[in-house]
Amino acid sequence: MASLSEEVLLVVKKVRQRKQDGTLYLMAERIAWGPEGKDRFTVSHLYADIRCQKISPDGKSKIQLQLVLHTGESTTFHFANESSALKDRDAAKELLQQLLPKFKKKANKELEEKNRMLQEDPVLFQLYKDLVVSQVISAEEFWANRLGGINNTDPGLCDNKQEVGISGAFLADIRPQTDGCNGLRYNLTADIIESIFRTYPAVKQKYSENVPHNLTEKEFWTRFFQSHYFHRDRINTGTQDIFSECAKQDDKGLKSMVSQGVKNPLVDLLSLEDKTLDEVRFNWTDSNRTVKDSSNSAIIKRFNHHSAMVLAAGSRKGDTQVDQASETSSTDGNSRDSDFFQPPVRLQEAIEYEDLQRENGPKTVALNLKKADRYAHGPVPLQSQQYTTSQDIINSVNYIQHEMANYKPNLTQVLSSTSASSAIAALSPGGVLMQAGAQQAINQMVPPEVQGELKHLYAAAGELLRHFWACFPVNTPFLEEKLTGHLEEMLQTAYSKFHIWQTRRMMRKT
Amino acid sequence: MKLNIEGLLVYFPYDYIYPEQYSYMLELKRTLDAKGHGVLEMPSGTGKTISLLSLIVAYQRAFPLEVTKLIYCSRTVPEIEKVVEELRKLMEFYSKETGETNNFLALALSSRKNLCIHPEILHANIVVYSYHYLLDPKIADLVSKELAKKSVVVFDEAHNIDNVCIDSMSVNITRRTLDRCQNNVDTLQNTIQKIKETDAAKLREEYRRLVDGLKEASVARETDIYLSNPVLPDEILQEAVPGTIRTAEHFVGFLRRFLEYLKSRLRVQHVVQESTPQFLKDIFDKVCIDRKPLRFCAERLQSLLRTLEIADIADFSAVTLISNFATLVSTYSQGFTIIIEPFEDRTPTIANPVLHFSCMDPSIAIKPVFQRFQSVVITSGTLSPLDIYPRILDFRPVTMASFTMTLARTCLCPLIVGRGNDQVALSSKFETREDFAVIRNYGNLLLEMSAVVPDGIVAFFTSYVYMENIVASWYEQGILENIQRNKLIFIETQDAAETSMALEKYQEACENGRGAILLSVARGKVSEGIDFVHHFGRAVIMFGVPYVYTQSRILKARLEYLRDQFQIRENDFLTFDAMRHAAQCVGRAIRGKTDYGLMIFADKRYARADKRGKLPRWIQEHITDGSLNLTVDETVQLSKHFLRQMAQPFRQEDQLGLSLLTLEQLQSEEMLKKITQIAHQT
Repeated sequence: MASLSEEVLLVVKKVRQRKQDGTLYLMAERIAWGPEGKDRFTVSHLYADIRCQKISPDGKSKIQLQLVLHTGESTTFHFANESSALKDRDAAKELLQQLLPKFKKKANKELEEKNRMLQEDPVLFQLYKDLVVSQVISAEEFWANRLGGINNTDPGLCDNKQEVGISGAFLADIRPQTDGCNGLRYNLTADIIESIFRTYPAVKQKYSENVPHNLTEKEFWTRFFQSHYFHRDRINTGTQDIFSECAKQDDKGLKSMVSQGVKNPLVDLLSLEDKTLDEVRFNWTDSNRTVKDSSNSAIIKRFNHHSAMVLAAGSRKGDTQVDQASETSSTDGNSRDSDFFQPPVRLQEAIEYEDLQRENGPKTVALNLKKADRYAHGPVPLQSQQYTTSQDIINSVNYIQHEMANYKPNLTQVLSSTSASSAIAALSPGGVLMQAGAQQAINQMVPPEVQGELKHLYAAAGELLRHFWACFPVNTPFLEEKLTGHLEEMLQTAYSKFHIWQTRRMMRKT
Repeated sequence: MKLNIEGLLVYFPYDYIYPEQYSYMLELKRTLDAKGHGVLEMPSGTGKTISLLSLIVAYQRAFPLEVTKLIYCSRTVPEIEKVVEELRKLMEFYSKETGETNNFLALALSSRKNLCIHPEILHANIVVYSYHYLLDPKIADLVSKELAKKSVVVFDEAHNIDNVCIDSMSVNITRRTLDRCQNNVDTLQNTIQKIKETDAAKLREEYRRLVDGLKEASVARETDIYLSNPVLPDEILQEAVPGTIRTAEHFVGFLRRFLEYLKSRLRVQHVVQESTPQFLKDIFDKVCIDRKPLRFCAERLQSLLRTLEIADIADFSAVTLISNFATLVSTYSQGFTIIIEPFEDRTPTIANPVLHFSCMDPSIAIKPVFQRFQSVVITSGTLSPLDIYPRILDFRPVTMASFTMTLARTCLCPLIVGRGNDQVALSSKFETREDFAVIRNYGNLLLEMSAVVPDGIVAFFTSYVYMENIVASWYEQGILENIQRNKLIFIETQDAAETSMALEKYQEACENGRGAILLSVARGKVSEGIDFVHHFGRAVIMFGVPYVYTQSRILKARLEYLRDQFQIRENDFLTFDAMRHAAQCVGRAIRGKTDYGLMIFADKRYARADKRGKLPRWIQEHITDGSLNLTVDETVQLSKHFLRQMAQPFRQEDQLGLSLLTLEQLQSEEMLKKITQIAHQT
């Protein structure tokens, strides 16, 4: 074996890789595979290099495990032992699941950071493609003065990507459409499904229980829409309905939410009134009696529950991670965040009159509006270079009104018919005086894809120029070498790229 | 700052002051000087509480012999806690300014959590507690009866004080009450039996005391030590307890007879309404119970419970209730009515008989307070029209004033929406209540507003049933789904715990920027007790005019009484009552001068002078003629404009000299002249 000092945690035989039989080894710091009968590893990955693992879905004929590396490459292992393939794979998967997170932290931060930057910034990504992938400059140089910025910024800040919440009306977006033959069609998108799952963990649980063993995905959703569960005015759901349990769970969730009580004493209606003991007792029994179950009150309950769940789903974190194993679904609608949620209106603040005190809060910068009325009326598209103020308009309206009031037709001195028709022609679209209307903006004349390409070239050239100017003042030999050496070459390459593009466009045009 | 209020040095724990606060203190001082009662309406969010406290504390310090105590009554526990907090601030300011630790003792009473220590009350300079401690005869007798005459009583948030008075004097008896009372009586009998075997001397002693009569109480009242108890009328004090109920066994037997009679009365098939004399005649005819022993019932029971040394009085609440009822029904021939209903109107098939012994005259409960204490101040953000309160509470105030809110920018925007975009008149009146077009237009209004108002919107409906129907209808029409695109929806339910949860989630949604709508009910708990400061309520929409449910027999009897006794016409009272609730609802959104909010009255009837004129002055004066009959679209346009203006930074400098004053500014001649116009005397 290659290194005897390493501790071998798991050995799985009969694992095929690239159609070759072999043995898979999971060791303390890496995973390796060697073909049968040979004494070396042809595949070896440090755990730190592995981004994630993927497994083939249950029910597939081939039982496989795929490792995706940070570089984007992937390696697939096929477990071929007929009797214990599934068990082998799961054993490997389990172990990896434990091991990978430990190494994740050690993983190349820089690489991840680069990856993240490229993913989040489409412009940068395009630039990367234009310059690095087409080999105008090397990757190191591309990152050279960008990573400086990365290292300075607090990585914690960058990692905190804001999660997208859920629209309160996601169920409304599933408008049923009649398909013309007595049926309804519901259009579901991945986003809506995700929203349903995040808001109603009970449905998600049902889904994972039933799909695909008992129902196909389509059947599942068909039943979902048929069920009373989806129709919120339900009172009691049939027992054969697979969603009746969800309804019960929701009710339970609502009850537990209510029984937890509220943290802010100012909104606690139960302790609002100062009552004597017996009054409390009386009312308690009375209020229980008066709550009757009607479909209307069921709707109201549903709405409260739905809103609470949406709110909780929005502030719940980590649910969307690919890593399913670590997911805990909370059905009570109380987001983990809500523990930290402190309503600002506490007693002290409720009695404070901030304007009666001398200001001592942090100074804020006031928004200085040059044109307050423009702010108040929203943006108005500028039709011409000159901006007409409302005063101008009023003046001209007054002027025209004045003119019209004093207008006297002078029938002897009218235009000749020819000059009249020429005036009309001049004022019609396309006429001499209507140039403003006919004049098309450049951005409308050029097709968008050409614009896009041009933009990319422009950005790439700009980036190169930035590198060029960054070399000044030339005070190190490295910079001098860079300037005289390949940078010139690079600019040349960029120029020729542009030239190629230009000629290609010309060719196409003609 | 230190203020000079007509010669009185007042410590005010802030660097600046609102002009209306100064004006309010002036009026308050005049009330105290005259040793009379006052009715003062001061807009919410203008620091009414701190003005009150500052002035009265200063007054107490300056004239310790004239005013010995401040009794501050408020409605809800959070409000009481707020008052205590403000008081603490004031006291800290005092010790900072004067350098001496003050010897002021303030005491806050609220149920269970902080149990009252009775002797403390007598020494405290300031007592803060809930209305019930002074108005509910059962509690007042335990807690408040020894409070000194030279006290100043303040009822804050007093716009509903008449209802509190009425509730505290009314008794509802159901079968459950009677069953529990039966158990109580059984327990009493057993206890008496036991005591008789072990300690007969105790019962003999009680008997002797009762023969001597209730002399103690009589002496006390004559010498003016106690606050009189409306359940214990004067006549009782002159006489001895009648022989028929003097021994403990006889009294228990008497209670049993009375109980059986009540049970038989509850076995009715149709509604019965009668006056108290009729009831007394009937009880005499049927079971030979005289008026006189009935009158002593409450006092006799108290004596028995004391003799038997029963610690947990709460267990005997049912029998206490019944004996209070016996005393009240035999004491007052006027101001009360008895209504026996075999079932609820909505569920005529379910037998649920209730005997309502309902008080129609709020002045009965509050009369001892006005008689006893030298100054009683009734104050609230919404007390319009001011003159109705002295009439229904039967007292003569020396000052009545309504204050406006001085504003550097108009931070409230009342709009009356009378029509939908399709010109359908919007109203919640009975005839069009089920009208589809009205409901749709209401939905449209909420939908449009949800798109333009940031953060929180609170909408109030006239009743719970009405809200349920509208919500169901909006749901069917898909309006709610569309609203959900803009904001989350939370709805008040009849369950208080559920509503609290919804409220907290609503605030959370406002807080995290998602924005939410709260659908709620006027006269409900939310409309009375919860404030929606700043972004928790940028708009309040009042769907309809919140008239009380007029078909109730109790209300009908009360209206009749008001007409006969106080010459208040039914419609005037109903409108007054509806408008004070509407004002309460919309006032929830404005909680200070830095706050801002839209007040949308969605009913064309609000435009009429008789409705509009009953809104508080500080709201009324911002209703322009142009905003009396708006369509939904126009409302949205005006709202947008208002909200954009309000979103501009608002600094202290903008307010200074106009709605916020420094000490120097306050002392200028010109300003003092202006301030005199703030108070609007009636």
